[in-house]
Parts: sequence; C-alpha cells; structure tokens
Amino acid sequence: MRVGQNPAKSIDTVPQPARVTVAVVTYIPFLSGYYKQSLDVLKACLRSIWENTSLPYDLLVFDNASCDEVRDYLSVEQSQKHIQYLVLSDKNMGKGGAWNIIFQAAAGEFVAYTDSDIRFYPGWLSDSLAILDAFPQAGMVTARPMRTPEAFYTHTLEWARSQPDVSLENGRYIPWEVYLQHVLSLGTSEEQAREWYESRSDWRLTRHGVKALIGAAHFQFTARKSTLQQFLPFSMDRPMGQVRSLDEQINQAGYLRLTTCEPLVMHMGNRLPDSAADMPVTPTDRSNRLVDIPLIRKPLLWLYDRIFKLYYQ
Amino acid sequence: MRIGKNPAKDGLPAYTPHRLGVALIVYIPFTEGYFENSLEIFHYQLASLRAATAETFDLLVFDNGSCPQAVSALQELYDHRQIDWLILSAHNMGKAGAWNWIFASMPNQLICYADSDVLFRPGWLEASLEVLDAFPRAGMIGAQPNFYDVMAGEGKAQDALKDDENYALGEYWPDKEIIDEYCLGIGASDDLSEQFRNSPLPAITEQKTRIQAVIGASHMQFLIPRDVAREVIPLPSTKGLLRKETMSIDYKTDALGYLHLSTQKSYVFHMGNTVNERLIEEVERITGSPTAAAPTQKRAQWKESNAQRWMTSLAKRPRFQRLFLRAYNVLFRALYSEALEK
Repeated sequence: MRVGQNPAKSIDTVPQPARVTVAVVTYIPFLSGYYKQSLDVLKACLRSIWENTSLPYDLLVFDNASCDEVRDYLSVEQSQKHIQYLVLSDKNMGKGGAWNIIFQAAAGEFVAYTDSDIRFYPGWLSDSLAILDAFPQAGMVTARPMRTPEAFYTHTLEWARSQPDVSLENGRYIPWEVYLQHVLSLGTSEEQAREWYESRSDWRLTRHGVKALIGAAHFQFTARKSTLQQFLPFSMDRPMGQVRSLDEQINQAGYLRLTTCEPLVMHMGNRLPDSAADMPVTPTDRSNRLVDIPLIRKPLLWLYDRIFKLYYQ
Repeated sequence: MRIGKNPAKDGLPAYTPHRLGVALIVYIPFTEGYFENSLEIFHYQLASLRAATAETFDLLVFDNGSCPQAVSALQELYDHRQIDWLILSAHNMGKAGAWNWIFASMPNQLICYADSDVLFRPGWLEASLEVLDAFPRAGMIGAQPNFYDVMAGEGKAQDALKDDENYALGEYWPDKEIIDEYCLGIGASDDLSEQFRNSPLPAITEQKTRIQAVIGASHMQFLIPRDVAREVIPLPSTKGLLRKETMSIDYKTDALGYLHLSTQKSYVFHMGNTVNERLIEEVERITGSPTAAAPTQKRAQWKESNAQRWMTSLAKRPRFQRLFLRAYNVLFRALYSEALEK
C-alpha cells in the first residue's frame, strides 16, 4: 500500500523540450575488425556535437544493441547529463526501426539526425535551420554540400523553376577539395572521384538571401519532425540498407532536399581522422549544485528520511 | 574514412517486436523516505510480470530521472536481459511526458502501461484481451475494477452504445475482498472505503458472449492498442505528477470515442511504497519461488532515544506538523527537483 504522499506531486515544473532534438543512432557490436576504432569515432562525434552546437538542443542517443564498452561509455555520459535521453535497445532494431522510435518520440519540433561516425563543425545547426526557415518546403537539410543521384531531387528542381522569388543557378559550387574529402571517406579512389566531379555540376538556390545547394543524404540531416512522421514506419527487416527509401519518399512527396553551401559536417567512417583525436572535449557539466556535494547531501537526505518516518511510519 | 564494408549491411535480420509490449515508468529520486522500498517493490513487479504473463513480450522501462543507485539497478537488469529497451532520461519529464515517449515509440501492437509499483497476477492479460475482443472500441483496459471515475461522470464514449442492442449498460457489485484490497492499495480512509462498499460500479455487457466489463480504467495500469496510443499523444506535460495532465489521456481517449473499461476481478494490485508479509507471500505464490533472490533493501533501524521521542511528540502538534511537512517538501525539491536548476 501507499504510505505518505508521493513527493513527485510537489514538482512544480518539468524541463520543456528544446526546439531541436539531436538524435544519434549507434551500432557497434564489438571493438575489432571493421569496428576497431568505432568507439573512438563515436566519442569524436559526440564531442563535436557538444563543442559545436551553439543553439539549445536535447541530445538523444539510440543504442542499437552495441557491446558493453559502448554502452558503458554512453551510460557514463548520460549520468553526467551530457546525453538527455539514452535509449538502450537489447535487440538491433535496424536503422529503420531506430528511426521509427526516434522520429516518433523526439520531443523537439526539429530532429537533427546523424549516424555515429559524423564530425560536426561550428554553425552546422544554425545554418541548417536557416535553410529550413527560408525554404519552408524543405524536407531535409544536410550540413555538407554533396552530389546525390538526380532521381532524388527532381521535385526540388521543379519547385525551384516555378518560384518567382527563388533564384536557381547551375555551376560548380562545391570546391574540389570539399567534394574529394567526402568521396574519399566513403572508400572511393581519387581517380574515380575526379571523373565524377568533372562529369557533373551543382544546383544552387537563393531565397530571401539564404543560399542552399540541392542534395541531402540520410547519414546526417535536419528536418521538421512533422515531415519525417509522414514517412513512418520504415521497414525493419534488416539492420541497414533500407533507409534510402527516405531519400526517395521525401522527393516523391514533393519536399525539397537541400544542403548547406559550406562543409559543416564530415563523414569519418570507421577510422578516426588524425585531427579528431586532439579535439577538446567536455560539455558543460550541468550537475554542479551545492546539494550534490556529498557532505551536504547526506545530512539533508537523513533529515528528509526522518521527517518521512515521523509522519508516515 | 571508411575502410572495408560495414558488416551490418550484409542483410542480417533486424529484430521484430512481439505483439505485446509492456512499459513501466520508474521514478526513484533517492532511496530514502517515501522511496525507501521502491527498488525492492520494482523487483517484485518484474518478477510477477514475468511469471504472470502468458505470452512473450517486449519490456520497455522508462527511467524518469532517478538517482544513480536506481539507474545502476536498472542497467544491471538490462545487462541481464531482463529489460529489452531501457530509456534513461536526464530529467523528470513528468508522467504525461514519459507517456508521450512511450506511446510514440513502442512498436508493439498492444501496449500495457503500469506504474512501477504494480503487482501482476496470472490471467491479467487473458482477461484484458477478453474485454478488448468483446469491445472493439475499448481504448484503455485496466486489469482491476475501476473504483474512481477520474472524469467524474463526464465520460461520453459509452453513450454511443446505449441504443446498440449488442450491448447492455448495467451495474456491477464487486466482492468485498476486491473492494478491501483496492482500499488497502490506495490507503483509503474508512469513509471512502464505506462509500465504495455501498455503491455499485457502472458496467457494460456484450450480449452475445455475456462478457461484462466495468466502465472506467485507472492510470496505474492499463492495456492500450498502439493505434489508440498514437492518437492520444501528445499529452500536455509541464509538471511532475499533475492530475490534470495525467487525466488528459482520459479526456482525449473518451473524445476519440474509445471506451475506458476494466476487468471485474483484480488481476493487478497496487503495492505502493511499503513491503509487508502479505505482499511477500503473494509474490512467492505468483513466482513460485522465494523472494530472497530479490535485492534486500537496507532497512534503517530507528531506535527511539529520548530526543527522538521528544521530536515525535513535537511533530504531532499542528504547528510543527505544518513546519515539518513543509520542510519535507522543500528538502525533496532541493535534493532533486529539476525545476530549481532552471
């Protein structure tokens, strides 16, 4: 039976969700072979989010049945309140299954999704949101210029051509170095990259002074939660490889697929880039209250316990 | 850069959720006072849930900003595969806030929600499903007769069945044991208990199968189809445990035309925050094993000294009572409440 009043009833307010939920899906089943450096890559990813996100956000990490070491690391970060929501899944739900949960449950108006092998640079979120604000029809915005198959942006082109207040330009707007860096990170040779780069051009949109390139990819993007929810549920048959349907569906539904003009995220893959290892760490510790000092907390807890017993036992 | 091919892309099957998902919200901000036995009670809940549930299910535990000891206990359970999905929230999002998460994210076709102090008895699922089958418009189905109408007679969903010849509205008089147990669970006063004994509960019968259900369901435990759960969210969430906010689930469910129903027998029991012999005996009966396996809480022995006797007598005086209880709430908020950090 219940004895006494649940003190939770005296909590006057609970923290309200930030406008943006930054969501990371992790899947590192072991720390050898392909995944040998994956924990270090994940640490670099989270560090770069903490370091380089200047707007308010809640961080949600969905761990898709990773190994103990990864879970332990995430649990420690959560206990220090560096991660606002940590979802530990005992089973690998697949990326689609994780998306089904994240895109439904994320509390923010916007979801900034990222794979766990992406490094973030200052301005990534503000620039992505600026594009979403300037182009309300935008379905997803990736914080790195990139070229994607034309089949994924047919509607974006159509829309841009029909808008009198949108300037549409075709040219080479992605610098070779930026293009090469990303393509190399996917394991493609420089020779192949050069061939691809020379054979295509880029589309640039400008509206209300805000520029964006046509593109976007599902490894990192910011989107309105309400937009993403229209495409749920995603197939959960396999752990990976089925999420490309988001790219197709966003286009088919008439939404824009855009990127920032500057490279504000970088795909690290499964190897830590040299520069990432030296990145400064540590998000602000939010739990430095006086009452958390053991010498103060212990007697207060004792007093609380005594009063409870006086009245309720 | 990426070297090699991600083995996850090799067509390995991903997990497919079970039909039933059970979600529990845990909030144990510390292990003293009101919450002294909460972890032990939660272990009893899990043991009873496993033993009393006839089909395999996925278990989601939402920790709403508990203390490190509680989180560590949950992580241990997760490590031992007793929990399928463990959500750790850095803040207390309120009960309605946690529901928003749970109902939005659980992929199972049927979702059973329960507070973390509910004991499950064999047959709870079968009885709940029987009600759901007989009343396809059932939105929330509790596995204990509902005695307290949170909507105070404002519920309208059942009115749609008044003229339906397949259903008959009526009354149900629960057995004395059911009433007594309910009253014990909520710590009801004698007056309130008497009131429950003297009033029948509103009920509805499906004429073909003669299955009868009590009209009304409690927030403590209920089964809700996923599609209904997705329709009722988002719920307002600004406070830890504000009745008005938790009640919004009832008003929304009712407004959508879904029924609040509960079983005629008690298949769940509110354990609250105290452990006694009767409870332990029942847990042992349900699980078929001694409860010694459950972690035993350190029970502080408070030997009464003269000073403590004096304090106890002082505490009985109304003026000091007000003062002490105010201090109790202030201490709780200082020790835990996120609101003070904002």
